[in-house]
Amino acid sequence: MDAMAIFILIPLLPLLASLILVLGGRRWGEQSHRIGISAIGLSFVFSVLAFLEVLRNGPFTVSLYRFFQSGSLSIDFSLFVDQLTVLLLLLVTGVSSVVHVYSSRYMIGDPQYNRFFAVIALFTFSMVLLVMSGNLLMLLVSWEVMGICSYLLISHAAQRPSAGRAATKAFLVNAVADVGLSFGIILTFYTFGTLDIQTILAQAEGMQEHTINILGWMGLDLPIYPVALIPFFLFIGAMGKSAQMPFHVWLPFAMEAPTPVSALIHAATMVNAGPFLLVRLSPLLVLSPYAMTFIAIIGATTALFAGIVSLTQSDIKKILAYSTISQIGFMIMTCGLGAFVVTIFHLLAHGCYKAFFFLSTGNALRSVEPGHAHGEQEHHASQDMGVLYGGALLLALLPPILLFSGAYENLWVVTGFPSAAIGFRVIGLITVFVVSLYLFRSVTSLFIHGPKTYWPSLGQQGLQAHSIRPQFVNGSILTGLLVATLVIGVLLTLFWNWFASFLAPALALPGVWFHESPVDAGLSLWMVVAIGIAIAGWIYAYVQAQSGLQIASSVNRNRRLYVFFWNKGYFDEFYDAYLVNPTIQFSHWLWRTIDMSVIDKFIHSIAIYSVHFARWLWRVVDIKGVDRMVMGIGRQSVGAGHWLWQVVDIGWLEQKVNQMGSQADTAGQLLQEVEPRTLQHQILVMILWLVFATGLLYILV
Amino acid sequence: MDILMGHIISWMILVPFLGIGILAFVRDGEWIRRIAFGSTMVEFFLSLVLWRSFDFTQQGMQFVERMEWMPTFNIQYAVGVDGISILLVILTALLCPLCVLCSWNAITTRVRAYLSLILLVEGAMIVVFTALDLFLFFMLWEVTMIPMYFMIILWGGPNRNTAGIKFVLYSLTGSLLLLVGILGLYLEGGHTYDLLVLSEQTYPSTTQFWLFLALFLAFAIKMPMVPFHTWLPDAHSEAPTAGSVILAGVLLKMGGYGFLRFCLPMFPEASAQFAPYILWLSVFGIIYGGYMALAQSDLKKLVAYSSVSHMGFVTLGIFVFNSQGIQGAILQMFNHGITTAALFITVGILYDRTHSRAISDYGGLHKPMPKFVAFFFLFSVAAFGLPGTCNFIGEFLVLVGTSYVSFPMVLISMGGIVLAAAYMLWMLQRLALGEPSTKAAGVLPDLTTRELASVIPLAVLVLWIGLYPGPLMEMMDASVTHLVQQMAASQSNIPALTAIR
Repeated sequence: MDAMAIFILIPLLPLLASLILVLGGRRWGEQSHRIGISAIGLSFVFSVLAFLEVLRNGPFTVSLYRFFQSGSLSIDFSLFVDQLTVLLLLLVTGVSSVVHVYSSRYMIGDPQYNRFFAVIALFTFSMVLLVMSGNLLMLLVSWEVMGICSYLLISHAAQRPSAGRAATKAFLVNAVADVGLSFGIILTFYTFGTLDIQTILAQAEGMQEHTINILGWMGLDLPIYPVALIPFFLFIGAMGKSAQMPFHVWLPFAMEAPTPVSALIHAATMVNAGPFLLVRLSPLLVLSPYAMTFIAIIGATTALFAGIVSLTQSDIKKILAYSTISQIGFMIMTCGLGAFVVTIFHLLAHGCYKAFFFLSTGNALRSVEPGHAHGEQEHHASQDMGVLYGGALLLALLPPILLFSGAYENLWVVTGFPSAAIGFRVIGLITVFVVSLYLFRSVTSLFIHGPKTYWPSLGQQGLQAHSIRPQFVNGSILTGLLVATLVIGVLLTLFWNWFASFLAPALALPGVWFHESPVDAGLSLWMVVAIGIAIAGWIYAYVQAQSGLQIASSVNRNRRLYVFFWNKGYFDEFYDAYLVNPTIQFSHWLWRTIDMSVIDKFIHSIAIYSVHFARWLWRVVDIKGVDRMVMGIGRQSVGAGHWLWQVVDIGWLEQKVNQMGSQADTAGQLLQEVEPRTLQHQILVMILWLVFATGLLYILV
Repeated sequence: MDILMGHIISWMILVPFLGIGILAFVRDGEWIRRIAFGSTMVEFFLSLVLWRSFDFTQQGMQFVERMEWMPTFNIQYAVGVDGISILLVILTALLCPLCVLCSWNAITTRVRAYLSLILLVEGAMIVVFTALDLFLFFMLWEVTMIPMYFMIILWGGPNRNTAGIKFVLYSLTGSLLLLVGILGLYLEGGHTYDLLVLSEQTYPSTTQFWLFLALFLAFAIKMPMVPFHTWLPDAHSEAPTAGSVILAGVLLKMGGYGFLRFCLPMFPEASAQFAPYILWLSVFGIIYGGYMALAQSDLKKLVAYSSVSHMGFVTLGIFVFNSQGIQGAILQMFNHGITTAALFITVGILYDRTHSRAISDYGGLHKPMPKFVAFFFLFSVAAFGLPGTCNFIGEFLVLVGTSYVSFPMVLISMGGIVLAAAYMLWMLQRLALGEPSTKAAGVLPDLTTRELASVIPLAVLVLWIGLYPGPLMEMMDASVTHLVQQMAASQSNIPALTAIR
């Protein structure tokens, strides 16, 4: 135990808070937040310390304990803290403490106040553990614990059937994707013989030519390159958590959770796990160009698709959900292009901004929620309108500035084909346009038009009158968070150089992919175009908002393409119709037809036929054969006796024979009476037959 | 002290029977329960003593006791434990007190008989897991069946007679094959029933083939592997809670134990020959059981079919013949014992309140029974192998072991885990979330202290093993390594095995 052991407290404190809240039950009541806030707050303080430590002395490892050992597989749990980890730690604990403070007011009156705080503390714990894990298995554990926490949080309002459905859906979609992750991890162990992340990354380059034979069990020879394949599988897991197409369907449904949870899911935890995983394993990732291309394509498609869907939605929470999917898609795309620094930068900026955005939305929604007392309201949002627009613009401008800056210009020629490079550029530009469009729109729809569709029964007039509920705490938190977002954003943009070089050691990128000539290489043509397009999108949305033109007008609804996107590309319907329902129907069919009618019937028929056989045996062989024979012997002995008596007169013999005959007769009758059609009999017969059959089998061999 | 430590396994065998003896003289219902609980607790305490004094570094049998029993036939009373059986002994001793606890109020008629049956089955199972003499093993193997049969037909659900008969018929068929196998071993192995002697010998291939087949079928029925599984849903769902707990928790493990104790060390060649088929059958069973569970509307049947699926992982792990697979399989047996027992106990708690097993009769339980839902949730997620809970470790190790053999099997088995998540979460959604479907379901009382006492130990174990499985793995490491080496040594020249590696 060295001095670094103190940083165990970063994950430990949230865990302890969660445990105390769970074990305390209702005792804590509405004081629960005090425990949560102090634990996460302290955790944040330690994260800052860890940041300073890494800044000064570089990465460090804290080993925890030996999880288990089995043969050559030994798992040692350890915390690994490097530049990447500390940045994410700051984001996670920071956003989480803000969410905790915010929720302490937001959740007042909720009957499950303590449960809520217990679960978000656990949620924070699992994300913290995820970014700190030095072992793939540990990463998997925290990955899944996070999933189950999200399940608990989405189903928080458990009396709503839709909440339960959404929670199940979210977890199951993730479970399917996690098959990829788990398989990837097993494949990693098979290839590298260890699950320690740093060891794997160090060995990765040397293992490039290593092949394994995946068809060995069939006696065939099909060698594959595991190093090229592992990133694919790991990425499938990342697609689930980060809501990439086609696993994105759970995120919009996750909006069933209380709004602060959405802030946590979208900004700090959960969806960020995907990009984090990819960046963490970047040295492994870059060895597989195909996987990189695949990742880039998935990311780009998601960014574009979700962006357009978000434009067509009218429900504020749906807009936000799809905007997150799109933003994460952007991060994934940059990962696929090798621009890992951009990914993390975008992740941090997006995290801060989205947290702010969701908490504001929460306020707005809360104020129009049915049955909620409004009280004295103060229109604080309009004061900050300017800054909010500024935030949206900043976020919209981030990708083009970073992505098309000099340092990453050469990324666009990723595959070596000029057409592909142009294709990526075009997709990138369109995405930039769409992003700035919907970012602006979400701002306007929240603060100008209001969240009209979320509670349709409430009518249109809810929001203008009393827009935002400004408790002192929440108001100041929001403003503070916004200022922090802007400051961090501006600072990081200014210190982009510093940021890139700070993160560089954690990425260990080959020199080809990254060189030391960042922003000040001057404005390139592409960058200017990109920024121009982003601003154009922003202006377009602004004009549209000013002119009062509603996108969701009746004219639009008749357009096929619009309807397609308005229905979110029919993904949910497709899954329901072609995956979920058939699976359930198939299981019913399998149960009724195969299990009940074939296997069970077969066994039954064995039983029934042996009963029949037993009866036959009894009627035909036993009564007609043996019994008659015995009786016949008796009768014939009597006859013989008579004959003998006629021939030679031996009285005593006759007597004896007569006795024997009658005895046999009664024995036969007795047998007939005793012969029971009882269970024991059937069992005996079965046993007899089995002994006979197996004996025969054995003898034959 | 010496009289205890020198004969600790005999004491463990004796205690339940002593308990039955005392029960015979007690009339008061409450005292009957207390005495039964007391003797199971003494048993549990003894199993802890056994665990503490067990030497992990030794691979062989420990605490061995031998005595002549029927010298004419070379039959001995011989018992002992090694790393493979000790976990199962502990599991038995752990679950039986909980069985008594969970039938405290649930059983109102013929309490003494019921509790005596639990004790009887406990004693018999301890013998099965520790016997070093095949005759002793077989005799007590048979004995375990009888109490279960009576528990089902006397205290069972509405369909108990069919279920009881089915259970007995299947079990008898299995034990018959077992008998054939054991007699075969006796004849082929030099007229001895000594397990240790028999395991050291090499048998000709044809003998191995047939004896393996007989024993395999016997254990596969007990396990149960897929085509032989139809007794299980009926027996589990009709049995009273304690019956289901013992059945699913411990009795099924006799099958897996048999594979490890008999099939692998005695017939390595035949095992390797059959392994590819068994492996695919296991994979099929995992998926098939998952689909079956998805189709159920009866809580107990759902849990029962999920057992079929989980037992697939056990056979999968055993027949890949490497230490990850086998350790994973043993751990999976132990963990499945814990989680399934926990699920049956929690379902039993519901059944005690409403006398209904249909999922559709509940709903919205989170409101009236928050504590219950919390525990039920934990056990359900553990049942589908959520990382951080106990089942994950076993399944993960089995899959790692399987990856040495075949990647498609790994991928397909993972589909089984997804299915498990689907049926468990779907059940939770229908049971715990939403609005209560009947008025009665909305006002059910939450867990009582005694019910809490029966689920808390299991909840602690679920999390403890899930987060720190190291100690359990250490316990079996030496024995499993020995077994794997034994397999490898006798198989290095067999083409079938080198192919599947």
